[in-house]
Amino acid sequence: MTDLRTAVAARDAAPAATKMAVRRLNFHYGEFHAIKEVSLDIPEKRVTAMIGPSGCGKSTLLRVFNRIYAIYPGMRASGEVLLDGEDILDARYSVNRLRAKVGMVFQKPVPFPMSIHDNIAYGIKHYERLGKSDMADRVEQALRQAALWDEVKDKLKQSANGLSGGQQQRLCIARAIALKPDVLLLDEPTSALDPIATGRIEQLIAELRNDFTIVIVTHNMQQAARCSDYTAFMYLGELVEHGATAQIFTQPEVQRTEDYITGRFG
Amino acid sequence: MPNEHIVKSYDSELARLTEEIARMGDLACAQLRAGAKALDARDAEAARAVMAADAEIDALEHEVSHDVIRLLALRQPMARDLREVMAALRISADIERIGDYAKNVAKRTLALRDAPQIAATRALASLAQLAQELVAETLVAYRERNAERAMKVRARDAELDAEYTQLFRSLLTYMMEDPRNISGCTHLLFAAKNIERIGDHATNIAEYVWFIEHGDREMPEREKRDTTIDAR
Amino acid sequence: MSADLLILKRRAINAVALVLSAAAALLGLFFLAWILWTTLSKGIAAFDVALFTQMTPPPGEPGGLANALFGSALMCLLAVAIGAPIGIAAGTFLAEYANRHWVGATIRFVNDILLSAPSIVLGLFVYTLVVRPMGGFSGVAGVIALAFIVLPVVVRTTDDMLKLVPTQMREAALSLGIPQWKVTLQILYRAAAPGITTGVLLALARISGETAPLLFTALNNQYWSADLSEPIASAPVVIFQYAMSPFEDWHALAWAGAFIITLFVLVLSLIARLVLLRKRVPND
Repeated sequence: MTDLRTAVAARDAAPAATKMAVRRLNFHYGEFHAIKEVSLDIPEKRVTAMIGPSGCGKSTLLRVFNRIYAIYPGMRASGEVLLDGEDILDARYSVNRLRAKVGMVFQKPVPFPMSIHDNIAYGIKHYERLGKSDMADRVEQALRQAALWDEVKDKLKQSANGLSGGQQQRLCIARAIALKPDVLLLDEPTSALDPIATGRIEQLIAELRNDFTIVIVTHNMQQAARCSDYTAFMYLGELVEHGATAQIFTQPEVQRTEDYITGRFG
Repeated sequence: MPNEHIVKSYDSELARLTEEIARMGDLACAQLRAGAKALDARDAEAARAVMAADAEIDALEHEVSHDVIRLLALRQPMARDLREVMAALRISADIERIGDYAKNVAKRTLALRDAPQIAATRALASLAQLAQELVAETLVAYRERNAERAMKVRARDAELDAEYTQLFRSLLTYMMEDPRNISGCTHLLFAAKNIERIGDHATNIAEYVWFIEHGDREMPEREKRDTTIDAR
Repeated sequence: MSADLLILKRRAINAVALVLSAAAALLGLFFLAWILWTTLSKGIAAFDVALFTQMTPPPGEPGGLANALFGSALMCLLAVAIGAPIGIAAGTFLAEYANRHWVGATIRFVNDILLSAPSIVLGLFVYTLVVRPMGGFSGVAGVIALAFIVLPVVVRTTDDMLKLVPTQMREAALSLGIPQWKVTLQILYRAAAPGITTGVLLALARISGETAPLLFTALNNQYWSADLSEPIASAPVVIFQYAMSPFEDWHALAWAGAFIITLFVLVLSLIARLVLLRKRVPND
């Protein structure tokens, strides 16, 4: 009876190893201190959602995980982000190696201006020399994993621009997972999509978590509640609370978290 | 710390729920008072009035049910809001049961019409008074969302149980003394049991008040003093 | 003012504005139509296969515009061949590497000045830089002058078209671990290709009608010449020369030349438009 709480928490989120560990991360855009001393563990093969009001730093944090911020001047990160124990912020950790292990899908579906097949093959070609039939197999595998194969198998040579928004987004996911990354970062993946397409992507996320560690940034709390195993709430650059999703949405420990999720401030 | 929702209509819907429960609670208290009084005075008219009035409490419970479903579907309440809504549903069920028991107590008046006066009815009236205090107190605790006050009610239920046990014993004694008393005393026994159950429901309500405030966290220990099962 | 009166007043102003703007448009169109009609009628009247087979004649003799057309074609294509790659590279640098940098802003500013510089100034510049040291007019100088006109147009369109490619496409490609140069070459160029192509085609259309710079650089040549180190004939210059002359048959040839150039520019513009439109497949 006394451990009912912990027992429920344990059932809701079975323990997992840590895939990425953020240790005292600070991030600046020029003078602006966007992320303040954030420490967080991302568990392996689970879905971690990051929620918070606009400007809280959740997207910024996501973009630190694959160092995509580095292409813009004036952005600097300090602290540690350990992926399988290695600090990815270290200059000696090759950015390309990092991006092979950590894939990203963006808010706006951006298929490359090529055929559907080439979209997927493009990334693979950069890393591996595959024969035509091997490549076709890899492409099919990625499309199947992204639940898109049945819809596009007859039009692989057609331009990717001809797909609907939801299909394009699944294509982008297929493109990212074709490289077999360990971690998949999703930056508000469904905010540009209609509810049915959104539902398909959420189902896809549920299937993908068996193979990938997923971090999803969303401004839709209900989506975070539906999709994730763990939720992190950020506010003004700080990590306010982090824990099992079921716990955060039924009985959060910090008042500010409760105020946010119940819509008392936003 | 902000207390109001950004969407004001959400707050007004939650407030309406609380009001409905407050109204139910007031009605139930009045019913209990009237029912016990009718029994004491052997007033069949008053008893019938109490029995008819129970329909209003039932109707309110339906309304609460309906509003809860609506809130769940349309607002997707989280955390404390969700606990409030769930508690409202269960508290309304408890109040409805309290109303039913009050009605049953009044009913006994009709059964006792022709029975001889029994000294024990005095003790029954005092039992009813205590029960009524418990219900009133727990409703105040709910209105204030005061978990400490609720816990006091929960503790006081032990008093009610003790008085009930006393009454139980004395009724047994009466029945053993004079077999002509059995019929009347049995009805009084049932009425007393109903009143003791009212106390239990008041305790349930108190526990939901704690739940709203503290969720899954453990409640303080309490004692039960209904030792009638040990009575010989 | 009551609501009805206000609406009436607004309607009246709307009607007046509509009439005035329509009138202005019609005025512009009227003159355009007149010019086109004149060019068309006079040009077709003088149209002949001989235009493409015979050289520019002395007055009084029959002839064509073969050498002029050939010279124009040669110089324009070479100018594009030189100006476009440099322009695309510069535009890429601006959009990809120097986009928010002060260096980028400076280059863009200078480019805009070059873009709107009078072509005769460019011609004079090339005259001083190339013709004088070379000791004479030449096709090379003409090519260089035309390239200077092509360059800023291509830089501008490449810069703009690349900037239109959504940032997220860049980021998406980079997130796959692809290096920047590959992303630029294989993804960004493909995405901006229709726009960049249009820019090049429009630059070509523009220089095919430029006369002033050629006057100082390539001059003219009565005979057939493919030697770029010598003066070379070009259609605009020939039109200039013939139109200013007192000879009727030369006038006719000038109109024919104007007609051909106009037709060429029209076709190029249509192709450019088709290229741009074809690539735009609707999304939902």
